[in-house]
Amino acid sequence: MGPSRSRRYLLLLLLLGGFGIILFRLVTLQVLQAAELTARADRQHQKSVTLEGARGTVTDRHGKVLAMNMEVPSIFGVPTSLDSPTSAARSLSPVLRIRRDEIEKKLRQDKHFVWLARKVEPEQGQRLEQLSIDGIGMVMEGRRFYPKGPLLAHVLGFVGMDGLGLEGLERRYELQLHGEKRVTILQRDALGRTVFPKGLREQVPAAGHALTLTIDEVIQYIAEKELEEAVNNTHAKAGAIIVMEPQTGAILAMAVSPRFDPNTVAALTADRWRNRALTDTYEPGSTMKVVVAAAALEEKVMMPGSMVFGENGRMTIANTTIHDHEKMGWMTFAQMIQKSSNIGAAKTGMLLGEQRMYRYLQAFGFGQRTEVDLPGEVGGLLKSPREWGRRSLASISMGQEVGVTPLQMVSAVSAIANDGVLMKPYVVSEVRDQKGQSLKNILPHVRRRVVSPDTARTLTTILEGVVTNGTGMKAAIAGYRVAGKTGTAQKVDPRTGTYSSTLSVGSFVGFVPADAPRLAMIVVIDEPQGEAWGGVVAAPVFRRVGEQVLTYLGVSRDDQVKIAMAAR
Amino acid sequence: MKVITFIAGLCLVFLFVWERVDIVRLGYHVERLKTQKVLLERERDQLQVKFSTLTAPERIAKVATDKLGLVPPQQGQVFIVHPQPVVPVLATPPVEQVRIARSMPIGRGDK
Repeated sequence: MGPSRSRRYLLLLLLLGGFGIILFRLVTLQVLQAAELTARADRQHQKSVTLEGARGTVTDRHGKVLAMNMEVPSIFGVPTSLDSPTSAARSLSPVLRIRRDEIEKKLRQDKHFVWLARKVEPEQGQRLEQLSIDGIGMVMEGRRFYPKGPLLAHVLGFVGMDGLGLEGLERRYELQLHGEKRVTILQRDALGRTVFPKGLREQVPAAGHALTLTIDEVIQYIAEKELEEAVNNTHAKAGAIIVMEPQTGAILAMAVSPRFDPNTVAALTADRWRNRALTDTYEPGSTMKVVVAAAALEEKVMMPGSMVFGENGRMTIANTTIHDHEKMGWMTFAQMIQKSSNIGAAKTGMLLGEQRMYRYLQAFGFGQRTEVDLPGEVGGLLKSPREWGRRSLASISMGQEVGVTPLQMVSAVSAIANDGVLMKPYVVSEVRDQKGQSLKNILPHVRRRVVSPDTARTLTTILEGVVTNGTGMKAAIAGYRVAGKTGTAQKVDPRTGTYSSTLSVGSFVGFVPADAPRLAMIVVIDEPQGEAWGGVVAAPVFRRVGEQVLTYLGVSRDDQVKIAMAAR
Repeated sequence: MKVITFIAGLCLVFLFVWERVDIVRLGYHVERLKTQKVLLERERDQLQVKFSTLTAPERIAKVATDKLGLVPPQQGQVFIVHPQPVVPVLATPPVEQVRIARSMPIGRGDK
């Protein structure tokens, strides 16, 4: 064996050794550490993001946008990457409109990530981009906007910071409105740019469904404006107006006072955003006489011309004396309703009897939810006849000992306007997908017939008399036939547990035009100061809203119809 | 033959590499377009919000009364005319409602 041969062996050995090392390293990397290294590579090259489809839009019956989503910047800080928290806070404070020390406190935390301000205005994001501060970043998040501000706020509700519906329609239709959430893995290159967006179509999460409401933005505005003015003028605690289409149950407007702006709810309490039109019950007072009269006419206990003695304004029942607001002697049943005689109503109720009275109250929807598609509705208070006292029949006939919501009352009176058929009230008329295709059409729903068409028409004539000759004269709208009823109810003083002499609820409920109703409306003014009669505080509001809405809807005045017919 | 096979193989390798590079290039292009789409959608939404805010009835009423000095029509000032079609036509046109203010406030009507 020569030296050259031994060198060759040595070279071979070195090569084998080298290959052996490479092989060993390969086995280590590819087999032994494969899982760990793959995961590390994935972390570097893949980005997992949660994409969320935009929340569905809410529009009125004419497609006017009432709520929609928009992407806005949220500002965060990375304290560990900041050179000087003090200088960063000084620059950020005027842009974010947050106190400098508050920002600095957050930036001095021992964390890798802190939120500084979420869902700010787009202009603030642009200004922040110009500042370009190291360690301060921005991500886009969906924010709910209510472009009309307080308009319809109690019906729309609002969403929380996480985009979940918390109140109103936003809560009731959360399942339909929220966008699809999807976690997607994106590949990125060494510069952090996204590459190979595989299956683009599948990656985009679907937007939430859009809702079309029965609400008319203009009618809603008229109702809110007039309600606000009435509540301010009477220094009342609160108020509500509901405008409904009697033939369908579609709600055209639902105004509640005091108002709030759903864009800025953080500082408000539940008391402010509660939809009093369906969460608060009140004793309806004389508006309940509409139901008592309907029952009496249907059961033929009374006819419009039946004579009733008013006991000269004073009558004792079960050791308590009930009064009328004026001394009344003999009067017809129609006059009794028009003058809103408590004694006459009590006598009518007693003629009906407990069982029949209770049956009609239930049939008109009292003591149960109307099942309107809004959250928080209460069923009101209607005790079973077993729990009634000796005076209950008389009290209920006058609208006491029974708690109703404004929505229940307007639904009941709508049934009279609708020839005796009670409809289910509703707010959402259509659900559409993101492409605008209709997924669900909500149609009017008949609940039941409560009285015959004859009874409904007879009662309508009587209720017209309330406005032409009775307590509701201030609800009269020139050129239109109005049917309605006033109501003034004392409230129970929570301190004494008895009826208060100062706290009351004034209301007016009715429909117009009486011969071919287009609107049913209730106006409720809670705790007005000074003169609190429903005919004084609520009836004029009914008139003002009614005449504007009828003009807006293009409903001809009776006198104009007569002129047009004469001209032919 | 071997040379041709080698060249064909080399071409296939180049084709494969070119395809991969082009996919990456198109991927970047798609990403740019996606970003552009998102920005345009964002702008559209911002404009929609702005439009809805500006067309709010409350704002329009405020501008009409405060800036333009308009007043709501009083009782008897609004007439609603439902014109009847005089000549029968093949397709019935929708009945339009025309509103006429009978007495305009003096000094504003001609402006």
